[in-house]
Amino acid sequence: MTDNRTLRWFLFAYLALVFVFIFAPIFFSVVFSFNSDRFPTIPLGNFTLKWYQTVWNDPDVWEAARTSLTVSLSTATIATALGFATAYTDYRYSFRLKPIYLGLVLLPPTIPLIIMALAMLAWFAKLGISGQVMSIIIAHSVLTAPFAMAIIRLRLSQMDPSLEAAAWNLGANEWSAMRRVIVPFCRPAIISSFCLTAAVSFDEFAISWFVSGLNKTIPVIILEIVTGNIDPQVNAIGSFVFLVSMTLVIIAQVVLMTRRKKEN
Amino acid sequence: MVAPLVEFRSVVKRFDDFVAVEDVNFTIDAGEFVAIMGPSGCGKTTTLRMLAGLEAPSEGNILMDGRVMNDVPAHERDTPLVWQSLALFPFLTARENVEFGLQMRGVGAAECRRRALEWLDRMEISEFAERDIASLSGGQKQRVALARSLVIEPRILLLDEPLSALDANLVIRMQSVLTRLQRELGITFVYVTHSQSEAFAMADRVVIMSRGHISQIGSPKDIYRAPANRFVAEFVGRNNIIAGAVTKTAAKTVTIEGSLGSFTVQTGQHDAPRKGDVARFVVAADLAQISVKKPKSANVIPCSLISEEFIGSIVTLFLEAEDGSELKVQLQERELSKVDLKSATTTYLSWADEHGHYIGVD
Amino acid sequence: MRTFSIFKQTFRLPIVLWQSLFFIGPLCFTVAMSFFIVRNYRMQEDFVMKNWAKMLGRDYFWDSYFLTWGLAGIGTIVTMTVAFPAAYTLAFKVSETVRRWAIFMLIIPFFTSYLVRIFSWYVILAESGVINAGLSYLGLGPFVMLNTKFGTVVGYMTLTLPLVIILQTFALSNVDRSLVEAAFNLGCRPFRTIYRVILPMARTGLIIAAVFCFILSFGDFVSPYYLGGSKPPTLPILIVDTVKSGQQWPRAAVVAVVMMVTLFVVAFAGIMAAYRRRVG
Repeated sequence: MTDNRTLRWFLFAYLALVFVFIFAPIFFSVVFSFNSDRFPTIPLGNFTLKWYQTVWNDPDVWEAARTSLTVSLSTATIATALGFATAYTDYRYSFRLKPIYLGLVLLPPTIPLIIMALAMLAWFAKLGISGQVMSIIIAHSVLTAPFAMAIIRLRLSQMDPSLEAAAWNLGANEWSAMRRVIVPFCRPAIISSFCLTAAVSFDEFAISWFVSGLNKTIPVIILEIVTGNIDPQVNAIGSFVFLVSMTLVIIAQVVLMTRRKKEN
Repeated sequence: MVAPLVEFRSVVKRFDDFVAVEDVNFTIDAGEFVAIMGPSGCGKTTTLRMLAGLEAPSEGNILMDGRVMNDVPAHERDTPLVWQSLALFPFLTARENVEFGLQMRGVGAAECRRRALEWLDRMEISEFAERDIASLSGGQKQRVALARSLVIEPRILLLDEPLSALDANLVIRMQSVLTRLQRELGITFVYVTHSQSEAFAMADRVVIMSRGHISQIGSPKDIYRAPANRFVAEFVGRNNIIAGAVTKTAAKTVTIEGSLGSFTVQTGQHDAPRKGDVARFVVAADLAQISVKKPKSANVIPCSLISEEFIGSIVTLFLEAEDGSELKVQLQERELSKVDLKSATTTYLSWADEHGHYIGVD
Repeated sequence: MRTFSIFKQTFRLPIVLWQSLFFIGPLCFTVAMSFFIVRNYRMQEDFVMKNWAKMLGRDYFWDSYFLTWGLAGIGTIVTMTVAFPAAYTLAFKVSETVRRWAIFMLIIPFFTSYLVRIFSWYVILAESGVINAGLSYLGLGPFVMLNTKFGTVVGYMTLTLPLVIILQTFALSNVDRSLVEAAFNLGCRPFRTIYRVILPMARTGLIIAAVFCFILSFGDFVSPYYLGGSKPPTLPILIVDTVKSGQQWPRAAVVAVVMMVTLFVVAFAGIMAAYRRRVG
């Protein structure tokens, strides 16, 4: 049995190491954002807020933050609405072309972003709507709708199958049952889906970079700074982006968890 | 002539290739308590759902008050259903659940509230009105579900195995709540169940279904005393089913000879069988008698006692006949003490002529 | 009762229209675009094989192609190998609560900026970066890690490792634990049990994890660019360079189509392998 115990500890140590690898870049990015050295290493330089000040005083960053916010909130709204409608269709109806239907919805995340970026760029140019904030929103909605669909579909599968029929039985037509029963039941998943799709959109850079034109988002600014040279401003912006994304993710998680606890 | 409240006319329901309900005909009168009973998959729930408009019949018509209901959508019918899962809305409080049906009928907020609270009070759960559904016990949820259906003052209430999730004590309590409600309100209850005790305890009439067909319709007593066929006789239980070849037919009687002996029974309303057909009759366990001395009756089967089972003051004796088939006798405990079974090696099961009930040829 | 229902279509149609217009549309247009022609810096719709001939006829394209294959392949093998003991631990050696928390932690990186994380690696791996500075106290180094295949693979892993661990953990969790114990009871040694019992049973999930890992690595342009030095460029970098440095979209489209076909074949082969009936 001692063998087994050694193996166990070895595995735990290994797991810890893997987590260190995964979180090291996030951790160092935050640390470096407060570090005075232009090229940080150990030992660390002095504590400073100058990178944050630089970013704070940069009107481009503010403009990009506004664009990013618009894009991610609009994307989250569209993707969640599309995802909800699709999840409900999958939940309620069966039809002959359903595998194709679901494929159409769920496929986008399997296409490399760079290909999507090129395809969107060319297609929007063809339709004459390239280089607008709207182009980013459309592209991001295509990309994130599958996530919304998955989250809401999961919630629907937890629903008592007679709940909707019970509403009809009590005199609700399909629309009222949707508004009064299905939507309230899915509310936690809808909120989660909204936060998560917003977070994904807020971080996406490849498509934004290709289709944004002059309307840069925060990740596009990061990409441009990184391409230029080493500039710890990136860490400051990155930490800010991380904070926003994490807040959204944690809200999403908490909403889902508390609801589940309450129902059990 | 007043039209019955509900009428099923040659109703068929198919799901793809599967026939769930086949050629069902029956009527339900206003104020009746009807139980639809059968094993799972017999079509009883489908029948109920068609009545609620949640499934459309593939063929035939369902009428209410003489009006064909086939194309009336579920939400335009006043046929509230108490679901097996209860299907209470988990994101609403008890009161809001009860208000739902009223709101859908355009009743004003204050009136909704008043009537919901009235019903919660009537169901003795008014103190839980503002509670979340998840925090209620099984029995309390049951009462919310009933209130939610009854608050819209329907003429008919549909119940789909509503007590199946409750424990035994609570089932008995809820049975009396349901029968009392039905009597007080004077409305029709259609109660789907697989439990014979629930159906027999509450219903005025029982519809027994098997594989999409109706096997028998009748009062609990009819069904118990006079099962129409082998399926009902077996499903009801507490019956000794005796099979054999027909050796003699006469006016209204038939003689059946099998491994347990030769017996003559009345054919009743059944068609007369032909000689050589395999026919069956039943002797209800509580109508059979047991003795240690061979009785004079012509209907005697010698057998040996295998075991006894006591439920309250009722004893069921399990017997084995010489050919190995199992027979049952049910009697009061104090009657049992008159028979000294312990010392006897052979006992005799017998029955009066009129208690042999012919159930026909397969 | 096959009637048209406004309600039904309200929920079914939007995504069909949306995805046709903004997902299928762009992808089909990309395929078509690979046959267009560029004259005087303007793209014109046409149907010529010129772009295909030009791209496929050049050595540097094929260098890029095989380099991308090689990097993504190595990345997939390394990631799958590194992830396995971690997933094994999460699936078999920890409690339900720990597993749920670990998976939540593994989801977090998806929502953090991949770019920032790669930039962070850039600083950490640099010749005078954190790692080399640390090693110098031990009298080692400095090691060159940037602009190497090592750097690229570290970058790929930043992207793929959390996902692969999650997928592997799910795959291994589906393995019937009583069978694993039965194997131990029959005297099967741990590594043999993994090889003979666990791997075959978790095969479908593991192959899916590998396919996802390969697709993500194959399509990533950030790691090979910033950590791998992009010399020679991988296919995604080729697309970026071709688009950003001129109006040669049709040539970029050729690269994109080649990538899509490659990934389609890989995914198809993977799915066939994952769902193939076990023989013998």
